Amino acid sequence: MSLWSRIVNVFRGESLNRQIAEEFEFHIAEAIEHGRDPAEARRALGLGFRHREESHDARVVPALDSIRVDMVFAWRQIRRNPGFTFTVVITLALAVGANTAIFSLVNALLLKPLPYPQPERLVSIYSRLTGSMASDQRIDLDGQQWESLRDQVPSLLAAVSSNSAEGVNLKSAARVQYVHAGRVSASYFQVLGFRPALGRGFSSDEDRPLGPPAAVLSYALWRTMFAADPAIVGRGILLKGQPYSVVGVLPENAQTPLAADLYTPLQPGLDGEGIGTNYAVIARLRPGATWEQADSELARAWDPYIQRFSQRNPGQRLAFHTVPLQQGQTGSLRPRVLVLMLAAGFILMIACANLAGLTLLRVLRRTSEIATRIALGASRWHIQRQLWVENLLLALIGGAAGTCVGFLALRGLLALLPAQFLPVSSVPLDLRVLSFALSVSLATSVLFGMLPALATRRLHLRSAIAGRATSAKQTLRLRQALIAGEIALTVVLLTGSGLLIRSLIYLETQPAGFNPTGVLTAKASLDDARYRDPAAFRRLLDQSLAAMDQIPGVRNAAVGLNLPYERPLNDTVTLRDGAQAGQQVATDAIYVSPAYFDTLQIPLLAGRAFSPSDGPAAQPVTIVNRSFARKLLHTENPVGRYLDRDLLIVGMVADVAVSPGLDSAAPLTTEETIYVPAAQINAKLLALVHVWFQPSWIVRTEGSVAGLPGQMQRTLAAVDPNLPFSGFYSMSDLEAESLSTQRIEVALLGTMALLAILLSAVGIFALVANLVEQQSRAIGIRLALGSTIVRAMVHTGRSGVTASMAGLLLGLAISAILLRAMHSVIYGVDVYDPPTVLTVAAGLAMVTLVATTVPVLRIAAIDPVQTLRAE
Amino acid sequence: MKKMDSLQGSLDLLVLKILSRRPRTHGYGIMAAVKEASSDLLRVEEGSLYPALYRMEEAGWIHAEWIKKDSGRRARVYELTDEGRKQLGFEESRWRELTSAVNQVLRIV
Repeated sequence: MSLWSRIVNVFRGESLNRQIAEEFEFHIAEAIEHGRDPAEARRALGLGFRHREESHDARVVPALDSIRVDMVFAWRQIRRNPGFTFTVVITLALAVGANTAIFSLVNALLLKPLPYPQPERLVSIYSRLTGSMASDQRIDLDGQQWESLRDQVPSLLAAVSSNSAEGVNLKSAARVQYVHAGRVSASYFQVLGFRPALGRGFSSDEDRPLGPPAAVLSYALWRTMFAADPAIVGRGILLKGQPYSVVGVLPENAQTPLAADLYTPLQPGLDGEGIGTNYAVIARLRPGATWEQADSELARAWDPYIQRFSQRNPGQRLAFHTVPLQQGQTGSLRPRVLVLMLAAGFILMIACANLAGLTLLRVLRRTSEIATRIALGASRWHIQRQLWVENLLLALIGGAAGTCVGFLALRGLLALLPAQFLPVSSVPLDLRVLSFALSVSLATSVLFGMLPALATRRLHLRSAIAGRATSAKQTLRLRQALIAGEIALTVVLLTGSGLLIRSLIYLETQPAGFNPTGVLTAKASLDDARYRDPAAFRRLLDQSLAAMDQIPGVRNAAVGLNLPYERPLNDTVTLRDGAQAGQQVATDAIYVSPAYFDTLQIPLLAGRAFSPSDGPAAQPVTIVNRSFARKLLHTENPVGRYLDRDLLIVGMVADVAVSPGLDSAAPLTTEETIYVPAAQINAKLLALVHVWFQPSWIVRTEGSVAGLPGQMQRTLAAVDPNLPFSGFYSMSDLEAESLSTQRIEVALLGTMALLAILLSAVGIFALVANLVEQQSRAIGIRLALGSTIVRAMVHTGRSGVTASMAGLLLGLAISAILLRAMHSVIYGVDVYDPPTVLTVAAGLAMVTLVATTVPVLRIAAIDPVQTLRAE
Repeated sequence: MKKMDSLQGSLDLLVLKILSRRPRTHGYGIMAAVKEASSDLLRVEEGSLYPALYRMEEAGWIHAEWIKKDSGRRARVYELTDEGRKQLGFEESRWRELTSAVNQVLRIV
């Protein structure tokens, strides 16, 4: 009989035993037929039991068979204690679920290879600053840097692109659609490793400034808008108001970092856009080239740039280096995701501490059973194995439940995230995640099984069989230490999420600087050949705004290049007077129609707002915000002063909240801003800003107006039928988007903190409840000797309170050290925030009080007479 | 299992030999055949017989099969495999060597 059949026989135990029994019965029947005494024949066959066991052993792998027996026994134990099993499985499901969900994110973001051929050879470029302003971050290039990279770094095949996909108007047949276009340099698709499904990528001729207009379609756009036309290559489309010829279609499932609907040549140059660092860069190591080679070639190619920088910034050192693209793409998310992973790990440890306490109790309760089995000849190894099999089985059930919980949690989490928030298209529950969940479950079974297993090794047979509790005091200490440990971790999680909540509240309650209610906005793309002419642009604004003013219920209508909460255009202006005269300073710059401040209700603090008379031929004027006046002009009333050559400041408005562009101090902040009349923008700037930004039409209504979006769209279409709105947004949509990262962090970490405190409460409850049960006799004696019920309650509940307080102190100490790392992600609140610490301490005290009070209430039901008679 | 080690050599040999003469014999038949052939001098312990049979089955020397007897009961009958035949030759020669060696000792001393 082969080993395999012996292994198989392990699982056919019953039928095997039946077969052996049948053979023996036949033997005995045969013996009787040959005239032997039935009883003698049976005896002669030996002790049936032992006999069968030996025969059985010959036909199975004994070790495996006893594990099967252990499993069956464990399963029965698990079914016999539904309460215990339920607690363990729920605890594990929550802990493993949290870990599975978070790990799925880690997997999708940091571990799964990018969806390109040979993704490990894709490169992003970082600059490292050493000195007082030390930093290490991914960079964008200006035109000069791009040309040296392209021509002087032979180990890299490099490409540049726009920083994001920009809204443009695409007309096909009679329909105009607002789609997202990515602008990419000629080698972009080659770097990613895509071979177009139809046609080709961009030629270097098309990528030259003023080169022929060409477009590459994404597979999805080709299918939906062009009905998968196989003859699309060479056809003309009307894009940005001018004809483009389609040169290729990308393959199905080809996702670029831009995730655009279609692509046009970037046409990078030294002028215009190329003056600033506006080009995002990716590269691929050429065959045979190494990362070190690329770094040293990069250092040589950009040496003039580095020299210039160190002359201007003495004491600072600048260097460039290559970083794998995956790391570069997820650089900003990585620390956040790892913090979440750490928090999930805390949850797991808290759960394990609880389970260790529970299983320890359970084993202690079973000591007399175990001792009996040892006395009857079971080896200690056998007992140990039995306990481990039980733990393992529980962990596997809990792990399976946890994977389901994790899957659901992940779906919820992804629904919470705004579109395009993650740089990956999907977060799958793949084999790596599943094996992670399995290993986590196995690890928990080891962690929570260790303690009880150790406890049974020091079992005193005599006292155990007599049913006396084994070293109750020592066990209590151990369990208290476990509770204190888990509470310490809970405190860290609570404090951390408390700080995040305080920070979010700070950000959300910052004065918006305008009235966000009753406002509806919509974007349209003016990156359009027809609106490069400032006169046409002015006409569009005048006519569309005049028509929108006529919509019943609309109080004001305005246009602005940017809205509050958005990241505005960064520009520079030259100061004319004061200590900094002649110096160029960075500022946000926003063009607006005259009614912009009225419509958004941004308070005018000094001077006047723009009027229709601030036209192209009139005196160039500007309105600055208070931050600009204070920080750069050092005045509370800048009206009448000049910027640049002859830009007259005619007013000052209040600061509004924006996403940071100049200095990323907080996700919502106020920045120095100048506003200029839309009518006074020159043609060159107009074309450039409309490539980057899509202006918003803003409407303020009296109360709610039915069908407002449709009316706005129709009004715009009446002025220009080929100009679609991208979508309609309220101000709270925009605010929510700018704070989405913070909200998600609060939601995730807050959920985990709640989970932690829930688990801790269960832990304290279990500790005290068990103590009440164990000591009911002692308590009975106390009561009989004249103790009051309240004193008995306090005496018993003290153990839980002590453990909790020790945990609180330990947790605060750990938080003081650990949470300093949160410094960079919280705003408007200090890492050592007394209200947060007090709230955490008070909350924990409350939870502790409830979790100890509920079980000690049972003391009131103890009848001293009854308990004294019990033994 | 260990307890049977001393017996094992001869028990295996006897079982294999019986099965080579009378293929498809059941456990009781094997036991009876040993008794008969040795004129009641040798007795196979019934308690050792079945573990030995299963062990030899596992080793691939014998092959077992359930057959229906006229009485309506099922019997498990055994027969030699090719490997069992080889093993029988090996056991027989080993037995001969052993007995001749023991005889030699008895003669000399």
